[in-house]
Amino acid sequence: MEHSENVKTRISSVVFNYGLAILSVASALLITQSLKPTVFPTPLFFGAIVISTWFGGMWPGLFAVVLATLLLDFYFVSPVRAFAVHTADLPYLAQFVLPALLSGWFTSKRKDAETALKEARDQLDGKVQERTAQLRQTNQQLQSEIAERQRAEETVHKTQADLAHLTRVMTMSELATSIAHEVNQPLAAIVTNGDACIRWLAVEPPNLERARDSVTRIINEGNRASEVIKRIRALSKKTSLQKSVLGIKEVIQDVLGLVEPELVKNRVLLTCEFKPELPSVFGDRIQLQQVILNLVMNSIEAMEEARGRSRELLIKTETADPSRVLVSVRDSGIGLDAQQIEHIFEAFFTTKSEGVGMGLSISRTIIEAHGGRLWATANSGPGATFQFTLPTAEERP
Amino acid sequence: MSNPEPIVFVVDDDAAVRDAIKDLLESVGIRVETFASGREFLARERAQAPSCLILDVRLPGTSGLDFQRELAAAHIEIPIIFITGHGDIPMTVQAMKAGAVDFLTKPFRDQELLDAIHRAVAGDRDKRAQNAEVAELRHRYEELTPREREVMVLVTQGLLNKQIAAELGASETTVKIHRGQVMRKMGAESLPDLVRMAEKLCIPAQRY
Repeated sequence: MEHSENVKTRISSVVFNYGLAILSVASALLITQSLKPTVFPTPLFFGAIVISTWFGGMWPGLFAVVLATLLLDFYFVSPVRAFAVHTADLPYLAQFVLPALLSGWFTSKRKDAETALKEARDQLDGKVQERTAQLRQTNQQLQSEIAERQRAEETVHKTQADLAHLTRVMTMSELATSIAHEVNQPLAAIVTNGDACIRWLAVEPPNLERARDSVTRIINEGNRASEVIKRIRALSKKTSLQKSVLGIKEVIQDVLGLVEPELVKNRVLLTCEFKPELPSVFGDRIQLQQVILNLVMNSIEAMEEARGRSRELLIKTETADPSRVLVSVRDSGIGLDAQQIEHIFEAFFTTKSEGVGMGLSISRTIIEAHGGRLWATANSGPGATFQFTLPTAEERP
Repeated sequence: MSNPEPIVFVVDDDAAVRDAIKDLLESVGIRVETFASGREFLARERAQAPSCLILDVRLPGTSGLDFQRELAAAHIEIPIIFITGHGDIPMTVQAMKAGAVDFLTKPFRDQELLDAIHRAVAGDRDKRAQNAEVAELRHRYEELTPREREVMVLVTQGLLNKQIAAELGASETTVKIHRGQVMRKMGAESLPDLVRMAEKLCIPAQRY
C-alpha cells in the first residue's frame, strides 16, 4: 500500500518535473517567436533551463537543454523548420549548448547547496526542539524530585518527633515494668510467708519451728528486694553524665529542630527570646535536650487540651544572676492549679490521660544533678511557665 | 472407691515464691509438690488424687499460657490457677477462656489462694468421680449380651414390653426376662435410674 503510494508520488513528481521543463522551454519558444528575433535568440531558453533545473533537478534540466537545442535548431537555425544543421551554424548551437549545460550544472549545484542548507536548518530546528523538550522533561523530573525530597524530609522530621516521644514513654514504662517485677517477686514471697507464719502460730500447739522458718524466709526475701533496689541505684550511678561546655541556646535549637513538625501540626506560635552573649553552661547535652524536649512536649499537650485559645509558646533564656543561666518555657495551655504545682514533680503523678508521670520527675533529677533548679508557676494569664536554672560553665560544681 | 488426699502442684521458676506457697499450703495441711518448670511437672507421673496446678504466667522458655495449651493438647485435665506479677486483662481473658479456674495477681492474700485451691480441687474431685462412674457403667454395659443391649435401648426409649417383643420378634416373657437381667447387671433400681445411665453412656436414644 505504502509502497504504491510512494511510487505514485514519484511518478507524479517526475511528470511535474519534465512537464515543467517542456512547458518552460515551450514558453521560451513562443515568446521568442513572437519577438521575431533578428539574431540567434538564446536568453529566454537559458531562463527555461534554469527554471527546469532549479525546480526539477539535473535530469529535467538536461532534458530542457536537449529540448531547447532541438527547438532552436528547428526554428532558428537555417534551414529553418528542419533538424539539419549547416556546418557554419554549428558554432551558434555550440555557443548555446555549452553555456546552457554550464548554467544547468551551476543551477543544479546551487539547488543542491540550497537544499542541503535547508535540510541542515530543518535538522537544527528539530534538534533545538528536541533538546528543549528534553530540558523541559529534565526540569520536571528535577521539580518532582525536589518535591519528593521535601516530603521525605518532612516524614523524617515527623518520625524523629514521634520517636523522641515514643522513646520517652517506652523506656519509662519498660523500666517501670522491669523494676516492678523484680521487686514484686520477693514482696509476693514475703506476704505469703507472713501468712504461713501466722497460720503456723495459730495451730494448737503452735508450730514454732515452721514459724521460724517462715520468718527466716521473710528476712531473706526482704534482703533480696533491697538488693534489687541497690542494683538500680548502682545502675543510675554507672550511667555517668557526659558533661561538656555548652551553649544552652544551641541545645534548645536542637530540640526545636526535632519538635518543629509537632509545633506546625498543632499550630503553635513559637517565640524565642535568646539573650545575646549568654554565658555557656557545663552539662550533658543529651540529658538537657531531654529536659527541654519534655517541657516543650508538655506545653504542646497542655495547649492541645485548652481549646478555643491561641497557642503561644515562649522560650526565653536570660541570666538569673551572674553565675546562673535561667531558661523559661511559657505556654498558653490549660495551666496548673496550686495543688497540682505541689505534686507535678513527684514520680507517677500525671494530669494527662496517657501520661506515665515520670517526665517532670526525671527532668528535675537531671537539672538537680547539674547543680540547678527546676520549678513551675501558674501564669497570671492562661497557661503555665516552667523554669530552670543552670550554673554557668565558670561556676561549674 | 477410696478418697485419696488432694494434692496441689506448684510450677514457678522463682524458688522463693515456690517455697512460700509450699509453706503456706503446708501450714493448712495441704499436700504440695513444687516444680521449677513445666517440663519437671510433666516428668512426674499423673496423680490419681484430686489435684490442681498453681502456674506462674511468666516462665522462662514456655510461658504459663503456652504450657496451659500444651497440657490441653496432651489431654492432661487438671484445673489451673494462674499467678502473675502483673495482671493484665487480655492475658487473664485468654487464660480463663482456655479453662483456667482462677487468675491471681502477686502478692495475693492467702485466703484468696486457699479459696481458689478449694474450688479447683472440689471441681477436680467431682470430675474424677463422674469419670469413674461413667467408666464403671461402661464396664457394666459391656457385660450385657447383644440381645440385652437391644432391650436396654428400647426400654430406655420408653417402649412397653409388648412393643419391644414385637420389635424384636420375641415373646413378651422373653423380653421380661432380658429386661430383668439388664436391670440387675446395670445395677439400676428403677426405670428412671436406667434412663439416666443410658444418658451418661450416650447410648443412642434414637434407633429409627
